[in-house]
Amino acid sequence: MNIDLTATLIALLTYFGIAALMAISLNLEYGVAGIPNFGQAFFVSIGAYTAAITYTRLLPLLAGQSFINPCGATLAQALQLRSDIMRTMPAVALGNFVITLLIAAVVGGIIGYLTSYVILRLKQEWYLALVLLVGGETVRIFVRGYEPVICASNGISGIAGPFAWIGNTQAASILFALLVLLLAAATFWYSQKLVRSPFGRLLKAVRENEQVALGLGKNVARVRAQVMFIGSAIAAIAGVLFALNLGFVSTNDYVVNMTLDVWVMIVLGGLGSSRGALLGALIITVLDRLTAITAIQFNRSGIELEFNYVRYILFGMILLLVLRFRPQGLLPETPFTTPAHDHLVQESANA
Amino acid sequence: MLEVQDLRKEFDGLQALDGVSLTVPKGQIVGLIGPNGSGKSTLLNIIAGTIPPTSGQIRFDSHDITRSSADDIFKLGLARGYQDASLFFQMTVLDNTLLPVKQQRGEHPWYAPWRRVWNAEEQTNATSASQRLSQVNLRSHFNKRASDLSGGQMKLLEMARSLMGSPKMLLLDEPTAGVAPALALDIFRHIDTLCREAGITFLIVEHRLEMLFEFTDSVYVMHMGRVMAHGTPEEIEADAAVREVYFGE
Repeated sequence: MNIDLTATLIALLTYFGIAALMAISLNLEYGVAGIPNFGQAFFVSIGAYTAAITYTRLLPLLAGQSFINPCGATLAQALQLRSDIMRTMPAVALGNFVITLLIAAVVGGIIGYLTSYVILRLKQEWYLALVLLVGGETVRIFVRGYEPVICASNGISGIAGPFAWIGNTQAASILFALLVLLLAAATFWYSQKLVRSPFGRLLKAVRENEQVALGLGKNVARVRAQVMFIGSAIAAIAGVLFALNLGFVSTNDYVVNMTLDVWVMIVLGGLGSSRGALLGALIITVLDRLTAITAIQFNRSGIELEFNYVRYILFGMILLLVLRFRPQGLLPETPFTTPAHDHLVQESANA
Repeated sequence: MLEVQDLRKEFDGLQALDGVSLTVPKGQIVGLIGPNGSGKSTLLNIIAGTIPPTSGQIRFDSHDITRSSADDIFKLGLARGYQDASLFFQMTVLDNTLLPVKQQRGEHPWYAPWRRVWNAEEQTNATSASQRLSQVNLRSHFNKRASDLSGGQMKLLEMARSLMGSPKMLLLDEPTAGVAPALALDIFRHIDTLCREAGITFLIVEHRLEMLFEFTDSVYVMHMGRVMAHGTPEEIEADAAVREVYFGE
């Protein structure tokens, strides 16, 4: 056994922050608004592809350098340039990071917004799950075969975090972990505020009975589009952080498994509950890391068991057990109360 | 207030509505009766914009609403109730009541996270919701989930909820179905009060004829997708053809 505990903890916290963003996003879409988004990995991949594009094209531009094709013959040269800029020009590295987040959020949001209109054409919302599942996979296969985005199946490497210029690798990863956690905390706060507002009430009404919501003058299509914009923007931000954390963008990471992991997180935590989404993200991340570490240890000790596959069995069992014994999740959604309820309680007390 | 002209609806070769015309004058309570399958619910669904007609015209408050969407029709002031109370059962009584309020700032995702922006408006709405709930004796239940109410209370909540959108007219589909007789009378008294005091117009589908006849100004009788008779409750009661199709006499 030879495990670097600090590094493991930093990695765990970073993964948790990213998973939390994905879970909050899906919880808003499905948990609160009832839109079964089975294309979560696709929306996350939008962020990753955005990072690949900005780190290979925008970064040299911001540093005053000319663009070098990151694929093919000039691959090594382009990689060297990226790495030099990120190590020596803090302002450019940070600026590029912020711009990447913004672009990813906007692009992800717009694609999510447009996707929501597909729902209008489908007779049942569960068909949307299939459309997104298949559509996301189609885009993934397209990107894998189309060079300009991420050099096709080769992927793009050398996408360092925004703190590579610090020099000390561990300090840079601690700062990155803190940044990820800060973003996750801010998103959690935002999602809580959103859910406990009249907008949250409207989302839950649409989730429960869209026909009646429509009959009460609510523009159901627009509300869905709005929540898909928000959810997809958050997923794309998670995608940027995911790519920066790995330092590598490849289409192989944004597969159905990623989507299903996020689904397990929100079902385990409690659908519609933001705190539940956080708890689900934490439990699944810890299990994921533990199985990964165990797999490595098994490998080193020469045990012939591919332990990585155990996680799929584990997550599947968790899902089944939760659905059977605690379908409301570990931290169930509380009945919604806006300040209006406190107002009436006060009114009653005064009377 | 509401004018329906020569409305037709065909479902896969079945003529559900076959040239229905009716008029509901402002400030009146008009009844709509007929045996099961005569097209009453289809008519209400079409008027409310839930399903489109095959042909014909509907005018409400001098607007042509024939092909308008349900949310636009509601915004014009025409609200509907459903046969089985269609509440948001997982939400509280108060949230159900607050939902239909038009143009809430807090319903916009830009403003939603900033409570300061919408709190005052929400409190004003809560106060008027509280008054609506008092009118139907549900004020003390505001914090309960809608699913915890009795069948009759659900109907009353549905009515209170419709009123929060400040409608000019309500379409009610069997407002007393599955409700104890005493509470059913209560519901009709509320309807009567709302009509007289708030000037709200009603079109009501109902099977409790004795109650309907007591409170309505006029009654339409539908049979096989057509209007077969129209008149005052007394005229309808005395109509031999109506008695034949409706009561089998």
